[in-house]
Amino acid sequence: MSDRGKIGDFIRRNPTIVVGATLLVLITLAALLAPYIARDPIAFEPINRLRGPSADFWLGTDSLGRDVYARMIYGARISLLVGLLVALISIISGAVIGLLAGYFSKVDAVVMRLMDGIMAIPSILLAIALVALLGSSVKVVIIAIAIPEIPRVTRLVRAVVLSVRDLPFVEAARSNGTRVTKLLRRHILPSTVAPLIVQATYICASAILTEAGLSFLGAGTPPEFPTWGNMIASSRLYLQIAPWTIFAPGICLALVVLAVNLLGDGLRDRLDPRISRRM
Amino acid sequence: MTSSRRSILKAGAAAAALTGIGAPHVARAQQKPPRQVRMVPHGDLNVLDPIWTTQNMAAYHGAMMYDTLFGIDANFNPQPQMVGKTDISADRKTYTFELRPGLKWHDGTDVTARDCVASIRRWQAKDGAGQHLFERVADTPVVDAKTFRIVLKEPYGLLIDALAKTSTPLCVMMKAEIAATDPNTQITKHIGSGPFKFIESEYRPGSRVVYERNPDYVPRSEPASGIAGGKRVLLDKVIWDIIPDAQTAASALMAGEVDFFELPPIDILPTLTATPGIKTEVFSKLGNVGQVRLNHLHPPFNNLAARKAAQLAISQEDIQRAAIGNPQYYQTCGSHFACGSAMGVEDGSEALMLKAPMAERQAKARELLKQSGYDGKPIVLLHATNIHIMNQTMLVVAQNLRQVGFNVQLASTDWGAVVTRRSNQNPPEQGGWNVFYTYSGGNATSSPISLFAHAAIGKKAWFGWPENADIEKMRTEWAYATNLDARKGVARRLNKTMMDYVHDVKTGQWVQPAAYRGDRLRGLIQVPEVIPWWNVERYA
Amino acid sequence: MLSYILRRLLGVIPVMVVVGVFVFSLLHLAPGDPAAIIAGDNATEANIARIRASLGLDRPLLEQFGKWAWATVHGDLGVSMFSNVPVTELVQQRMGPTFSLAFTTMAVAVVLAVTLGVLAAWKAGSLLDRAVMGLAVTGFSVPVFVVGYIMVYFIALKWRWLPVQGYTPMSEGLWPWLRHLILPSFALGLAYVALIARITRASMLEVLAEDYIRTASAKGVATLPMLLRHALKNAAVPIITVVGIGVALLISGVVITESVFNIPGIGRLVVDAISRRDYPIIQGVMIIFAAIYVLINLVIDISYSFIDPRIRYS
Repeated sequence: MSDRGKIGDFIRRNPTIVVGATLLVLITLAALLAPYIARDPIAFEPINRLRGPSADFWLGTDSLGRDVYARMIYGARISLLVGLLVALISIISGAVIGLLAGYFSKVDAVVMRLMDGIMAIPSILLAIALVALLGSSVKVVIIAIAIPEIPRVTRLVRAVVLSVRDLPFVEAARSNGTRVTKLLRRHILPSTVAPLIVQATYICASAILTEAGLSFLGAGTPPEFPTWGNMIASSRLYLQIAPWTIFAPGICLALVVLAVNLLGDGLRDRLDPRISRRM
Repeated sequence: MTSSRRSILKAGAAAAALTGIGAPHVARAQQKPPRQVRMVPHGDLNVLDPIWTTQNMAAYHGAMMYDTLFGIDANFNPQPQMVGKTDISADRKTYTFELRPGLKWHDGTDVTARDCVASIRRWQAKDGAGQHLFERVADTPVVDAKTFRIVLKEPYGLLIDALAKTSTPLCVMMKAEIAATDPNTQITKHIGSGPFKFIESEYRPGSRVVYERNPDYVPRSEPASGIAGGKRVLLDKVIWDIIPDAQTAASALMAGEVDFFELPPIDILPTLTATPGIKTEVFSKLGNVGQVRLNHLHPPFNNLAARKAAQLAISQEDIQRAAIGNPQYYQTCGSHFACGSAMGVEDGSEALMLKAPMAERQAKARELLKQSGYDGKPIVLLHATNIHIMNQTMLVVAQNLRQVGFNVQLASTDWGAVVTRRSNQNPPEQGGWNVFYTYSGGNATSSPISLFAHAAIGKKAWFGWPENADIEKMRTEWAYATNLDARKGVARRLNKTMMDYVHDVKTGQWVQPAAYRGDRLRGLIQVPEVIPWWNVERYA
Repeated sequence: MLSYILRRLLGVIPVMVVVGVFVFSLLHLAPGDPAAIIAGDNATEANIARIRASLGLDRPLLEQFGKWAWATVHGDLGVSMFSNVPVTELVQQRMGPTFSLAFTTMAVAVVLAVTLGVLAAWKAGSLLDRAVMGLAVTGFSVPVFVVGYIMVYFIALKWRWLPVQGYTPMSEGLWPWLRHLILPSFALGLAYVALIARITRASMLEVLAEDYIRTASAKGVATLPMLLRHALKNAAVPIITVVGIGVALLISGVVITESVFNIPGIGRLVVDAISRRDYPIIQGVMIIFAAIYVLINLVIDISYSFIDPRIRYS
């Protein structure tokens, strides 16, 4: 089969992955090219406030007079960064803790109590408390959203480790005298990769949305720098008066969440043999 | 939409109407209107002691269930309320007050002079004007059950004004045994003598406050004016619905689920007035005055030239336009004492260059900043993000200061964290700050004595800690002045001094109308800093 | 079974200890001064200091923690620093609205999601599958408050079918209670549909691949009854698991919904308390949530053993 045929075949059999990935690539590109395709998102003249879309301001202005289009493009940077970093932090922390907990039962007892404790606190209240007390910055918001995600990842990894730990090939490696770290890395970790990737996409999407919710409750990223979440939240009064201030970031947010979810669903269908067999 | 779908929707709506879904106000119009009002106040009533806290919500609560000895009328002149007869001695050092007849507590007992003296003493421990007064008080003897005296060491023209003011905390009267509570602990029993009774069993902190008419209240005979005059209650029940989300509160008003929305954001006023039946009205003509406080203790604002630079850089017009939006509701103001008030003089405001173009002001500011020797060290601005006006204002201030060369660092937090950090007198890099913003009622701001922020006593002053002996001398002079014109003269000199010294930077003045169902309510009266519900009638 | 339940109930204690220590440290070690907020804007520093002392906030941290932990263990969660109302009373007042909202939201979400998930699994791989799952995800990709505002604008304001905001307890009538909850439940429920539908679809697919289903299908048993009777029952365990997770997540979603629709629930209570630094409320509610979380997990685990006889606890 020719290369083009192979690509066409791939697209036909994995439409969700392709659509999701394409959308994400386009949006990331726009974010990276922001300084070339948009003006300063922070400067403003209050006299320009709440103007509708025009030749000068393609998507109008917000309540301070800032350019909505520029903020939407620059907002992609921080929103995507938040999603990505939250996913990375929670996946890596959760994976490490889950590996250790799944393999060493002594660690397990202590760690799982701790994870239970964190899960017992409603995530948004924990996030609000952290931001209220540590001040509003992108760093704090990322950590505040990531922490409640860690226990679920830990559970996921721990479950995989428990199911793989006593399988023959692991036993064999162990009796061969393989060092624990190598054992974990070479023999157990690979089984966790597929579910972790899928989980990462869901965490990424959820993080971008949670950031919007936190901004709504007054515990989001500082309003000076645009994120889609804080743009939507700070413009919520203007639904009837200046709807462009909500719809521009809102549609972007929905698109990215949709894209990431499609990617995650597609990957999950591909990587989980039980489902892909049925299809 | 296809016609079949439209007809289904219509049928559905008709069926819904039959079962009582929707349009509840239509059904209500057939019966007599309930003598009840639902109001959405600007905040939550979480402290029930109007003396212990200076929060405005507690003052509203106080005005409902308590009564005052004197009260200011619509022209800000103090009038007797609980007091029947006032007698001032020839040497102006002894004031004798006799209570009018018919005053009873909500538990049925009579109001006595002993109650009043105890209440005044508790109030003055927490109030700036009260403390200023009581430094000159020799004694407060009780003469008989209805009469008491305040004996001064020297004449003090503002005595009755202090008792009558509506800036928080109001001097409300409580029972002697409740007023005996330490001023730094909250009262636990709530018994007033005011026109409304507080229904404690229906109080839901953060959600609902309920008041009922006090049938035993004897109003004065004069018409109601400000918080003076006859407080005739024409409603049976007043319910405060605490709705923190402005969009939801606006929708509730439009749907008729609430009757009064105290502080709708100015931007949604057009949407509200577009709904038939909704009126907007300004109830506090002096509105609010914003102030940017500079930290006089640490560089760069311990240097006069740097302060002058900031004063020129900060644009009242930009701030008001960003924070309030509609020029109909705001004005730039060159007074530290609220334009439009008796003390609203603007002497010395040339220093602000309010009429000059921004470019000119910024050029001068840059020059002044260079003169001050500013080294480019970042200055910390405390930025409260959860209160709309504060959020917008600080973003403008940050941009204004950056445009003339300040290296600005925004510390964005909620208001609670600002309130905590602003009291820290350490240098900014050790938990302190350089700039923060807040606003106060125009009425409160108009008194050089009542508003603690006006004091310039250094480290014991209000946050910002300005220190200037001339300002302090003039404040005392103002308090001792014997008539309005004399006070105005002092205010002129005081305003100029505060401008030249850059005590703080005022950011302009604005009014915020309330929105209410004019198709249901009438009789609302204007009172600064308090929302009164006597005199109000529900007619539909 | 009984000893299992007992053991699980005892497991509440370490969780609550972790939560208690964590929340207390978070609140007291980081900047925040309820005394300044209580005193109001016009107060002097001296007054604020006196209020702080009267609330016991200037005592050493360990002493404050000890006092609070001791009281909590005895069931005394303290009083609000602002209104002096006992925390347990505040929570009691607000439990009803939050539980009502959580219950109706879950009902809406489960009904919609299971339907969509079964449909998607039945026609797995087809356009319908993609469309249905795409629809589910759309409900999830718009922030709850935006969905809420839009619903209120059309359904409550323009068409006047339902109220804009508020809550009436069930004691004042079933229909008034329900009509205030319809909009919020849908606005919030949509966010969970994707989550539950996804798991429903996945576990249905797993079951549908099992041999006995293929046999039944080959035997000619009609597809829909077969789906419902055989497949769904066996797919129930993971679905209930995710519903359990959903309930835990639900409290987070409820916080925003309570603000948008003005429902006087625990979510708003805690958010207000956090912004005021009203420590006793924050600490007390977190402890209660911890206990509820453990209880819900227990209920879910027990329900497994009723649905799937293969799961037994000794």
